[in-house]
Amino acid sequence: MVPAYRSVFKDEAKLDITYVPSRLPHREAEMRLLREFFSFMLSTPEKMAQRVLIVGDVGTGKTALSQRFGADIVQQAKQQGLNLHYIHVNCRQYRGSLFFILHHAVSVFHPNFPKRGFSAEELLNIFLQILDEQNAHVILTLDEFENLIEKEGSEPVYKLTRLQETRLNKPQRISLICILKNVKAVESLDPSTRSTLQSNIIRLEKYSKEQLVDIISDRVQLAFKPLAVSEDTISLIAELAHSEGGNARFAIELLWRAGKYADAEDLGAVTPECVRKAVSSIYAITRKSDLASLSLHEKLFLLGMARFFKENDRAYASITEVEQAYAVVCEEFGVEPHTHTQLWKYLQVLSALGIIEKSVSSTGQRGRTTLICLPGIPAHELERELAMLLEKESG
Amino acid sequence: MLIMVNMQIETVLGNKLRIKILKILSKIRELNVTEIARRLGANHKTTMKHLKILENEGILQHKRFGRIRLYRFNENSVKAKAIQTLLETWENAENIR
Ligand SMILES: Nc1ncnc2c1ncn2[C@@H]1O[C@H](COP(=O)(O)OP(=O)(O)OP(=O)(O)O)[C@@H](O)[C@H]1O
Ligand SMILES: [Mg+2]
Repeated sequence: MVPAYRSVFKDEAKLDITYVPSRLPHREAEMRLLREFFSFMLSTPEKMAQRVLIVGDVGTGKTALSQRFGADIVQQAKQQGLNLHYIHVNCRQYRGSLFFILHHAVSVFHPNFPKRGFSAEELLNIFLQILDEQNAHVILTLDEFENLIEKEGSEPVYKLTRLQETRLNKPQRISLICILKNVKAVESLDPSTRSTLQSNIIRLEKYSKEQLVDIISDRVQLAFKPLAVSEDTISLIAELAHSEGGNARFAIELLWRAGKYADAEDLGAVTPECVRKAVSSIYAITRKSDLASLSLHEKLFLLGMARFFKENDRAYASITEVEQAYAVVCEEFGVEPHTHTQLWKYLQVLSALGIIEKSVSSTGQRGRTTLICLPGIPAHELERELAMLLEKESG
Repeated sequence: MLIMVNMQIETVLGNKLRIKILKILSKIRELNVTEIARRLGANHKTTMKHLKILENEGILQHKRFGRIRLYRFNENSVKAKAIQTLLETWENAENIR
């Protein structure tokens, strides 16, 4: 029997990354602006197509703002008998491909729409045909927009912003919200596309510590039992998230994890110590996303190190030892090992990312040797993570 | 297009592939011809033939998007409704057994 224990949570789902809170403290002005830009949608949607850029750093609420706005305006349109759809697409999730992005949009209306046998261009026309037939209007949000520009350049954005030129006298159907971290990314677009996009920019500033306190307090009320999270704890989380670049996602993730630690120890309250434990586990996780961005041989090299540390109960390894481990991994994966010089470069990359630490020891018999250690992630976890990534890459 | 006289129920439903098509569409709601053919394990021509028969009987309808045709049950047909009910009831009974 699992003993009955007192969880600090009231509703953990309110801390999930997919949860969009009904109000977003300290984004009221930005929300008003967004509503203003799209107010025509509730009166004369056929007359106009809007383009808005939302720009801001990691965790400044870009996705949440846009999704909250979308859900609200769709609700309002419905009450007025308007056929308005809000479609939120993460461009990274669709590998920056216009085709996959449009396929997602089409499948909102026709869930089993085939994926083969036509081009992105044709798919765009199909999308418009569907919207015309259903007399529907769409706000299409292209989240992590950089990925689309990177993959496809100006072309798709040009197409999406110039739809009406080949649809003379037909109603406007598609408005765009493009979300990105840095407005620089649109500079690579052709001048006319750029100017259409840049006229309406909403900038989200990093949250201050006080703003983060309000955001966290709101979420505490939704997700935790009364008195389970003290002001001290909230303040510490806000402090940490502020130093992480005013990142609200970091704050909420920290809050959730700290709650998990409190439950694991059956404390009945989330203490600052729970927050400190949570922080160290989050750093390990951010590292996981760094892992995904490593090149094949950087991954193989790191896998070699992970295996070395797993098999040897030691804190440090020499260059020679990790190179040997890497050679074995290369053999296993059937690839030619890279040279010593290249491996040196990989070491720089890995240490710059903080995944490994290098130090120089002068006590070795052959003079100075470079020693390597894994400061944060347990070796078996690193190995598992890398093996998974490598499998994905080859599969 | 060929104008066909409506068929008797034993003719319309007396064919394995047509029943299979109806089963697929009652589960998935809407599907393109190539995918229906793939699930039937039949070629395109045969699949089209059966789809046309079912459409001619007013049981299915289709929509065209460029080269793509999406087939589904005809929403305005009582026959289509009855067949869907039959298939669903059958399915549920099988699951209970
Ligand atoms: N003002 C706010 N009030 C309440 N919750 C917020 C607020 N801003 C952000 N959040 C929450 O913080 C988390 C991160 O926000 P969001 O995903 O919108 O950030 P983002 O700007 O899209 O970040 P990224 O650039 O990494 O995609 C989400 O869980 C979101 O609900
Ligand atoms: Mg986001």
